[in-house]
Amino acid sequence: MIQIKNVTKTFDINKEKITALKNVTLNIKEGNVIVLKGSSGSGKSTLLSLISALSKPTSGEVIVDEKHISKLSDDFASIYRRDNIGIIFQRYNLIPNLSAFENILLPQIPLNPNKKTIKLHVENIMKKFHIHHKKDVIVKNLSGGEQQRIAIARSYINTPKIILADEPTANLDKKLSLSFIEILKELKQTNLTIVIATHDPLFFGLDFVDEEIELKNGEIV
Amino acid sequence: MINLYLLEYALNSILREKLKSLFIVTVFTLLVFLLSSVFFITSSIKYELDSTLDALPEIIVQNQQASRTIDIDTNVADKILNIAGVSNATPRVWGYYYFKNEDVYFTLVGIDEFEKPYKKSLQNAIKLFDSKHTDAMLVGNGVFKMLKKHYYKEYLNFIKPDGSLKKIYIDGVFDTKTALESNDIIVMSNENVRDIFGIDETKATDIVVKIPNKNEINTIAYKIKTLYPNARVITKEDIKVSYQNIFDYKSGLFLALFVVSIFTFFIIIYDKTSGATSEQKREVGILKALGWRVDDVLKEKFYEGFILSFFSYMLGVMLSAFYVYILKAPFLRDIFIGYSNLKPPFELVFIFNFQSLFIVFLLSVPIYIFATIIPSWKIATKDADEVMR
Repeated sequence: MIQIKNVTKTFDINKEKITALKNVTLNIKEGNVIVLKGSSGSGKSTLLSLISALSKPTSGEVIVDEKHISKLSDDFASIYRRDNIGIIFQRYNLIPNLSAFENILLPQIPLNPNKKTIKLHVENIMKKFHIHHKKDVIVKNLSGGEQQRIAIARSYINTPKIILADEPTANLDKKLSLSFIEILKELKQTNLTIVIATHDPLFFGLDFVDEEIELKNGEIV
Repeated sequence: MINLYLLEYALNSILREKLKSLFIVTVFTLLVFLLSSVFFITSSIKYELDSTLDALPEIIVQNQQASRTIDIDTNVADKILNIAGVSNATPRVWGYYYFKNEDVYFTLVGIDEFEKPYKKSLQNAIKLFDSKHTDAMLVGNGVFKMLKKHYYKEYLNFIKPDGSLKKIYIDGVFDTKTALESNDIIVMSNENVRDIFGIDETKATDIVVKIPNKNEINTIAYKIKTLYPNARVITKEDIKVSYQNIFDYKSGLFLALFVVSIFTFFIIIYDKTSGATSEQKREVGILKALGWRVDDVLKEKFYEGFILSFFSYMLGVMLSAFYVYILKAPFLRDIFIGYSNLKPPFELVFIFNFQSLFIVFLLSVPIYIFATIIPSWKIATKDADEVMR
């Protein structure tokens, strides 16, 4: 499903070239749960960013469902994300002054959905992730765990094929982290492809994880 | 089809930054208010001036002595009438009369009551009272109000040069259509005006000259000047220019106000176009990561700019209409018609100038929308990953 072929990614930071990924090749099958592990700066987040077409590789190819997504124009990259990808960011990246309901609705807005249908859809997803009771609360007033559930619900609203989670438990305590792992386990049942970038040991050796890939200095170890 | 969710999101974005939005609305509204008020006032005054100037004679001839305007001999009119192209030359008797109670000047105009053209136009312009006095006058609306305020409901005692009084009865009131000029006017017989100002039978204040062919005005003015080197010959065009000069001079004060508000407006515009805040950048990055296209982001920003600027524009226009036509434009009105401070006040006629409002719209709303969209466009066309970092 996801093919990463000889991908290199360099950044220009203060006129200095920094290589985040070096000649990485990787295949991820549909419905698999993959854990990308490695210390901070190992290139995990960069890899997720390339799979989600948020950035383009300096060289190499990223192919998802036989589409060369690294060659997509900006608009098509957005459409690709909207139709295929759900992203859970490390800091959740919610809009702080919107309600939980409004945040979850965000990916649907450009589609101009039917009001009744979308209301029902959002509410069902909120129920699925046990956040329905916080529907009208402004997210900045919610706890970290609640905010993360909203971020998960938002990533799921467009029924994506792939969910990418970048350090999803970095701001959670152990109890909430375990609860998040339970959610991932449930999502695996729906045949979703899930890629988690983390250095949290709680994710290592989990029975529902199909593969653990370690990155070090931008290379697969 | 309008995406109502985008519209709702735009509205939420405005409400999220309450203080900033309030500041922008205030400055924007003030700018539109000032511009619209000036356009409303100038439209009204222009209407008044045009109505007044249209009725003016082609040439007015005054007599001067040592650069001071003095009365002119009435027989000059006969000689002017002999110039080819002149259809009429009439001596006029008029002058400014100081009304101490209100600290204003009234314009006393004498007419020959048997002269048909005057009689006809006056009949159209006045509301006649049922009065049969020989010493009677017709007064402008402003004059009437002032006299009434001081209990001169039926007559006014004019003070003659020798200190004696002349009682003149109010016979009627002018209509308000050409308020600027007719508002301070008192019309009475030539004899009464001569009596009040002490003007001799052989003298007049000036002579008005009618010329049917407009192309001949300057030539005839030149001929009069040659015939009477002491005469001051004023053409209709000269009067238009002097009115315009007074108007332009007075509008300088308005410019000071206008410059302050336009300066603030452009600071906002500069602030917006020079770059978005890190919070705004992050938001655009999140939206793009969630699958919004550049187009969607720009549409949302367009709605945001449009809602804010159009609301401010409408508010500014409505406030200015209220200020000019209901409150009678205190302060600004004095700036524009300041030269007539010594004359009785007049009403601003309601003139809806769609063209002027459209100019105000073009000067404000599209500029603001443009300034809202440009920085968002700059951010939205970058990689979302780069924007969120």
